[in-house]
Amino acid sequence: MPLTFIDIERQKSWRISILFLFLLFIYLIALAPLLGVFIHAYLPPRSSLPPLAAWGMLSLVAAGLHFGVSAYDTVNTVVRGLDAMPPDPEDAVHMMFMNILQEVHIVTGNKRTMKGMVIPSFSLNALAVADLQGNAVIAITEGLLSRLTRPQLEAVIAHEAHHILSNDCLETTIAASLFGTCSSAMEKLGHASGERTVRSPMHILGLSLLQLSFLLNMFVSREREYRADAASVRMTRNPIALAEALHLLSRSWRGAGFIGSGYEMLCIVNPQITALDETDGFWADVFSTHPPLAKRIDILLSMAHRNIAELEAPAEETAHGEIRVPASPLFYAMNPQQQWQGPFTLSELAGLSWLSPLTWITEGVGKLVHRAAQEPSVNAMIFARYSGQKQIVSTFSCPTCSQPLVRESYEGTQIHQCRFCSGILVDSVKLPRIIARTGKERSCSERISSRARSIINLNQLGHAYRKRSDDSPVRNLQHCPHCHNPMSRGFYSQVYLIEVDSCSFCGLTWFDKDELEMLQCLIRNRITPDVVALGPVR
Amino acid sequence: MIGWIILGVCVLVLAWFIMTYNSLVSTRNDVQNAWKQIDVQLKRRHDLIPGLVQAVKGALEFEQDTLEKVISARAKAVSAGTTAGKAEAENMLTQSLGRLFAVMENYPVLQSNQNVLKLQEELTSTENRLSFARQLYNDLVANYRTRIQIFPDNIISGLFNFQAEDYFSAADEDKAAPIVNLSLKR
Repeated sequence: MPLTFIDIERQKSWRISILFLFLLFIYLIALAPLLGVFIHAYLPPRSSLPPLAAWGMLSLVAAGLHFGVSAYDTVNTVVRGLDAMPPDPEDAVHMMFMNILQEVHIVTGNKRTMKGMVIPSFSLNALAVADLQGNAVIAITEGLLSRLTRPQLEAVIAHEAHHILSNDCLETTIAASLFGTCSSAMEKLGHASGERTVRSPMHILGLSLLQLSFLLNMFVSREREYRADAASVRMTRNPIALAEALHLLSRSWRGAGFIGSGYEMLCIVNPQITALDETDGFWADVFSTHPPLAKRIDILLSMAHRNIAELEAPAEETAHGEIRVPASPLFYAMNPQQQWQGPFTLSELAGLSWLSPLTWITEGVGKLVHRAAQEPSVNAMIFARYSGQKQIVSTFSCPTCSQPLVRESYEGTQIHQCRFCSGILVDSVKLPRIIARTGKERSCSERISSRARSIINLNQLGHAYRKRSDDSPVRNLQHCPHCHNPMSRGFYSQVYLIEVDSCSFCGLTWFDKDELEMLQCLIRNRITPDVVALGPVR
Repeated sequence: MIGWIILGVCVLVLAWFIMTYNSLVSTRNDVQNAWKQIDVQLKRRHDLIPGLVQAVKGALEFEQDTLEKVISARAKAVSAGTTAGKAEAENMLTQSLGRLFAVMENYPVLQSNQNVLKLQEELTSTENRLSFARQLYNDLVANYRTRIQIFPDNIISGLFNFQAEDYFSAADEDKAAPIVNLSLKR
């Protein structure tokens, strides 16, 4: 009977025992010198049986302990190691993720509970973990969540769900956790201590454990990725969505350096880009955990009678495209002093305090002049403003105007905004979500993009001078709305020179009016400061 | 000796009999459970629609027709009695909801209303769950039908009167052949 996703047998448990035997073997080798010492020191050379038995027992106990510790509570260890968090029910994108998980749950016949987790990283990857306790988690990075459309996300989750249901996830999780978890932790420590030239003993130990986990790759077959792809298509009946998702992954940062190398066999695509992964043949089959992405995409596309060129073209276009400003209609409006003002976009019109349903508006010279209420789009906007949703006043107050902030939804997540100065307060957890969701649409208004350009060019000058003259760049100006400690002012990053105030205690970040939008515009269109020749230092 | 062999064969046949019967029963229960799952999702959809209609009513002043169609289709679907009537009413509801979503695309104010977006997401998810539940049901029915028809399982299914379950058929417009455009323009 073919392997149906409805009732998949536990047919691979024997492979897990092979893993155990492998571990035992390693311990036998590792403890062999001990045996030599033992014989030499304590026993007459003739009776060699007791030390042999002791050696065997010791290795068995050590291997058993190691296996038990690493296989028992693996899910929590991995989740902690990746700083993954449960989805935020207030967040629109996270809710979509939870919903899709439920949908996939239904199509798999409600056989097994799978929890969803979100990894706060801009990288694009997804992974599935399961352990002997029966816990199963599908974790997705914030970056991937924000870049995929609904059908694509569905395909990716179905792929991961098949790993869990077919139990090959349990096998890979145990294989990864035997050495991968500790080696990844040590790798992180090595990165954190920043020692590059002098390798610490921890680092060397981590590296050697990593080599051992590479050996375990032999047990993890590449076939399982093809099988999971096929199962995903069977569930969602949408090969193109999965192909598109994989194609996007093939062109993006998949988390090399963030997702420890010990975890690579858990992921949908290998975080490291290696030549071995992209080749076919015997050695690649033995030592690599992931099949060539190009081949996976090809198989999927051939199911839909498409070819890869159709995916390449739009991707190339977005990668090298120009800034696109949406062709939204512009309006002129007559202010209470009977003067025509403008042109305004719809959102700018919404910000005018004097706009009422009776204000005269027009789309340009020679165009029809009518009341704001008669223009459907403007009327809808005014309608929303006055009938609007209930405003939830947050506990924070604005650091500049001292007025209570209002909770608003921005890019699907919750932020605190000031009604008066339009400044925005963002949690440290939510800022990465906003940044990750920035790339979705490449459009920002002309005003924002030109303002952003001029500001970063100014800041670039000032920044450069400050760096050269060793002036202290930080002046404390505002106080954190939560802990009331002074916030430090700095640039968002060395590339995107937008000034932000952030509290180093609570992790809150304050953006003045337009600053967040400008930052997004810069990131979206990869605008960097123009290179300028510096004058002599004053 | 021969007595032992006969006894052994009898035990084997009995064991096969029990195993086959049990697995047929569990397959049938899986099918029935999948049918319940469809019902759960239909109920969920019926519960979500009034909220969505309430939320968009203000903004869709000029689309009362579309809204009324959704409301009446929902009322019909809730009150439908027979399975066939239910399937038809649900298909009507799916179509009218699809039209409502299409109309809503044209109203930027709705696309920026969090409440509406949330409801829309919930409904989209329910539609997907519904189609997945159907897909699962149909897969299970196919599996079950094969089981009760193949030899030798059909002996037991005939003996204990295992009935073939019906497939859940798709909406009429889904079934219609796709229109192929043969012009060379793309």
